[in-house]
Amino acid sequence: MDGIHDLGGVEGFGPVPVKSGDKDFRDLEDWEKRAFALNWSPIAPGSTIDWFRHGLERMVPADYLAFSYFQKWCTNDLIRMLDNGTITLEDVKRGHVENPIAPPPAMTVQDAVADVAASAFSFERDTLQRPAFSVGDTVQARRHINANHTRLPRYVRGLEGVVLAHHGAHVLPDRNAEGVEVPEHLYTVGFRAVTLWGEDSDPRDDVTLDLWESYLVPA
Amino acid sequence: MPTFDSENAAKLHRELHTHLPSDPVLRVKTLESLAVERGLVAPESLDAWIEAYSEHIGPKRGAHVVARSWLDPGFRTRLLDDAAEAIKEFDYQGDASAHLKAVENTDTQHNMVVCTLCSCYPFSILGMSPAWYKSTEYRARAVREPRKVLTEFGVALPEDVSVRVWDSTAELRYLVVPQRPSGTDGWSEERLAALVTRNSMIGTERDLKAEAG
Repeated sequence: MDGIHDLGGVEGFGPVPVKSGDKDFRDLEDWEKRAFALNWSPIAPGSTIDWFRHGLERMVPADYLAFSYFQKWCTNDLIRMLDNGTITLEDVKRGHVENPIAPPPAMTVQDAVADVAASAFSFERDTLQRPAFSVGDTVQARRHINANHTRLPRYVRGLEGVVLAHHGAHVLPDRNAEGVEVPEHLYTVGFRAVTLWGEDSDPRDDVTLDLWESYLVPA
Repeated sequence: MPTFDSENAAKLHRELHTHLPSDPVLRVKTLESLAVERGLVAPESLDAWIEAYSEHIGPKRGAHVVARSWLDPGFRTRLLDDAAEAIKEFDYQGDASAHLKAVENTDTQHNMVVCTLCSCYPFSILGMSPAWYKSTEYRARAVREPRKVLTEFGVALPEDVSVRVWDSTAELRYLVVPQRPSGTDGWSEERLAALVTRNSMIGTERDLKAEAG
């Protein structure tokens, strides 16, 4: 979808808040740390990374721009629990459920560190399909993508780039957001800055994107 | 199980927008209470996650990877060939790093990383992302005017350097390998790692300084 989240190349924003990011994780606000930890926890069984991303994309657009990162995350995690039927809007308004049950056993710090190490999930899948493109091919990004969730940003659509790398087949986000795993060939495609932004750009510069085969047509 | 229904997600967002104050402290407290009371997570587990990310997982990991690539040509080759495999030598593999790719700055190319569609970041190797990386300003402008953005970070690029911006649109995650500063001959991996900043591994800093260590 052509949503508010698709920010690449949008004009009108001011200077990057360069100094805002100098905080170490331990110096974040307590609520921010807890939002991060909650997102790590199994609060929405059956969810996929792309369902999570799509949930963020479906936020009220004004909220999307106004909310901070973890404010978006905790809001979207409430949505995932509501959508799962785990909680109701009444529970949210009340701040409590009606018949609470005991929490599961607590993790230790060592468990958490081990869990992070065990979370190197590969998105590569076997496929019998042969790749349609090779390194060095010129390709064109599709103009139209009729999916609710897609990872083809607006700013490259309809434009030509060159295949820089092929990564085998990876899970297609457009379907993974629907809970369906479809492997499809994935490529790194380089787009010249002048192609994307016009002749005022530096002719030496480029932008690379990782794009699935169905996002591309031969140039 | 999720409905995976896009319209349902949008409807729920509108309901929250209408019925729940936007105060994030309240929202996180609500989320935690409901998740705990439904038996999905223990509050102490959240404390454990926070401790793990405060003390064990952070940009120091990436800095050690970079320092070793400066010292050990064999490791450098392995890192550039398959970074996800190479970081297992440190036991740094983990979330958002199964498809890690290291991209090296040279005298003629500068690399910079962004995620324009959300804020994808190699957590297990760099820890929590800085706030500016997740800002609308950086996400919108990094691909369109990277040189101006670099100027805001105080980076002055030499005349003959091209800029390549990596937009993290899939599950590949990028680690920029900055150039080794001069005046560091004979330094240990530990001492070199202390020079490597988080921003230099995202590409919003270029010239590391020996005196920083």
